Amino acid sequence: MSQKQKKSNSRLWFLVHSWLALPIWFFVLIVSFTGTLAVVSQEIVWLANPDVRASKPSDDAVPLSFQQTLEAIHKAQPQVAVDFISKPDESHFAYEASVTYPDGRSPTLYINPYTGVIQGESPSFNFQAFTRALHGWWLVPFTNGYSWGWYLVSLLGLPMLASLVTGLVVYKKFWKGFLRPTLRVSHGPRIFWGDLHRLSGIWSIWFIAVISITGTWFLIQAILADNHVTLSTEPIVPVISREDVPRTPNGEPAQRIDLDEAERVAIQQLPGLEVSFITLPGSAYNHLYLGGRGWYPLMFQTANINPYNGKVEAKFLVSDRSATEIVTESMRPLHTGDFGGIWIKLIWAFFGLVLTLMVLSGLLIWTKRTAQATAAALKRKPRAKLSASADTTTEASA
Amino acid sequence: MSKAAAVPPSPLSRLWHKWRFHLNILLVLIPLGFMPKYFHDASLFRGDSGLGEHEIGEIAVGPWTLQLAELRDDAPRADGPAGHFKLFNAALCSTCINEVKAVYLRIGKPRSLRAAGVLFSGTPYRMSANLPIPTNTRSDAQIWITIEGWDGSMQQSAIPLAKASPATIAWLQQQGGK
Amino acid sequence: MTFKACRLALAIALLGAAAPALAHNPMCQCEPIAGEQIKCTGGFSDGSGAPGVTLDVVGYNEEILVPGKLGEDSSLTFKRPEGEFYVLFDAGPGHVVEIDYADIGEP
Repeated sequence: MSQKQKKSNSRLWFLVHSWLALPIWFFVLIVSFTGTLAVVSQEIVWLANPDVRASKPSDDAVPLSFQQTLEAIHKAQPQVAVDFISKPDESHFAYEASVTYPDGRSPTLYINPYTGVIQGESPSFNFQAFTRALHGWWLVPFTNGYSWGWYLVSLLGLPMLASLVTGLVVYKKFWKGFLRPTLRVSHGPRIFWGDLHRLSGIWSIWFIAVISITGTWFLIQAILADNHVTLSTEPIVPVISREDVPRTPNGEPAQRIDLDEAERVAIQQLPGLEVSFITLPGSAYNHLYLGGRGWYPLMFQTANINPYNGKVEAKFLVSDRSATEIVTESMRPLHTGDFGGIWIKLIWAFFGLVLTLMVLSGLLIWTKRTAQATAAALKRKPRAKLSASADTTTEASA
Repeated sequence: MSKAAAVPPSPLSRLWHKWRFHLNILLVLIPLGFMPKYFHDASLFRGDSGLGEHEIGEIAVGPWTLQLAELRDDAPRADGPAGHFKLFNAALCSTCINEVKAVYLRIGKPRSLRAAGVLFSGTPYRMSANLPIPTNTRSDAQIWITIEGWDGSMQQSAIPLAKASPATIAWLQQQGGK
Repeated sequence: MTFKACRLALAIALLGAAAPALAHNPMCQCEPIAGEQIKCTGGFSDGSGAPGVTLDVVGYNEEILVPGKLGEDSSLTFKRPEGEFYVLFDAGPGHVVEIDYADIGEP
């Protein structure tokens, strides 16, 4: 390959790289920023709302079990119906119970893990859900399968992956950047932003790869679901059959086992199962559904227990997954960084911020370069007719 | 791009060059436009704005009563090969919570308890059922509520589909027109 | 909404509410095949199959004419009974699909 051809090739790569995000840079910037917010949204709520914090009354206080939590809720509010209780991964968060009041309102209650006191209910504005909806599907409602907003956002995975690849091609010998990091502050903004863009770029190679690949998976996931194709090997768990729900001669609801008993049975029969949430039966024919993270932190393991006889009637453990599922199910947690406590979330949030800055610095480089190129072009041939579009036709000459 | 500058640009590419950065504005307008809808839905799911968009009212089923509502006052939604569905919400009367074992919904009179239709699930104060609506449903069809008691008894009641879901009737008429 | 209500609850817990509520509705299709036979295939709208799920052919008089379970390929083939009947895909209380003989047609 001749020197000249090589040069024109890299010029082409450069062009591709600079055009990947440009026409939609602000959209990419907001998606990147809201994604960053979504990663730490639970922590932001923790800072803003004391109700969701778990304060320990004394050093030797012991966290309540599921059944104790249920009883504490019923004692404080006998009318309330509980359908879901979860113990968050990190001990500084309060337990959460999804409930329904007799008037039909169904908020989440925050329960102190040690005292069982109901500390508050979720406000009608759910910050976590909002940032996730904004980041994940641009607030476009789901009416017929996946929302088109979901497609819009997840499609960005492709140009993002392309940016990474072209960026590395354009930045010749990028590995040298690790050995000799350069960030020139006193050579003008164009040099500063360029250095920052490259420096943050090479340190976020892994992160950009993870986010763009998992983002592209979200696109594939939507395409599969909208075509009614599933990769899941999880058995569809039918309701309990009519014969297996006890008849009660006195017309009272059949006795159900308590939640701690269900947890005990599940752990005993399914070694390695940890229970961090329980879904209570939604009807007389539904199972207790419980589960939590297993030894492989990216996945949940679950079990369906018959609430009348305490039998484990279905299970879905890490070992039950196919190889494909291990990969595809790992995608969501890898994207959101919520699989290993606060430190992983903070790392994800930090690199999310770096990514947001890269979009911004990329744009600034582009405008600076284009501004100069435009000025140069206008000096050469001041054609009034073309001046309106001059800023956009000269980017190649940068 | 530099090559393109040599040839006179087509009207389409001129249009693209002039307006491409306005794509940003369009894209940012999308979530702003959907925000009211988002908060309406969030309030609907949380039960802050009642049982559903279209409250059907209280229906007596044997000795029991039930509040019924359509979650959304609009046409049934497609679920691929499974057909079209309409989501209904229900709440049991406070005195019947402990007597009622299960509540079912079906278009047309059930042949048996086994074929009583879809099962409501949730909590007694707010439970949902996704009712299949065949496209050949007649506009004078009735929806049947079947309640199974813990004592083994079975009670039924029917209301016109036209009353339960006017939007479904409108949709069915459109289907017939095709 | 129906079947994987549990899985849905988990999805909501993971995604943080107001999440996409994608349904897994039961479905069943029957078609006439050669030799006076009928082949019914059951499943769920997310694309999952329904091996082992009960599928009965019931006469209008509520007599069960053909008791059956779907095979590994989620289908069941049976001889078309005389008279009026319906096919009942029965995955448990409230999780059924009925198909009337009139909707199955002739080969």
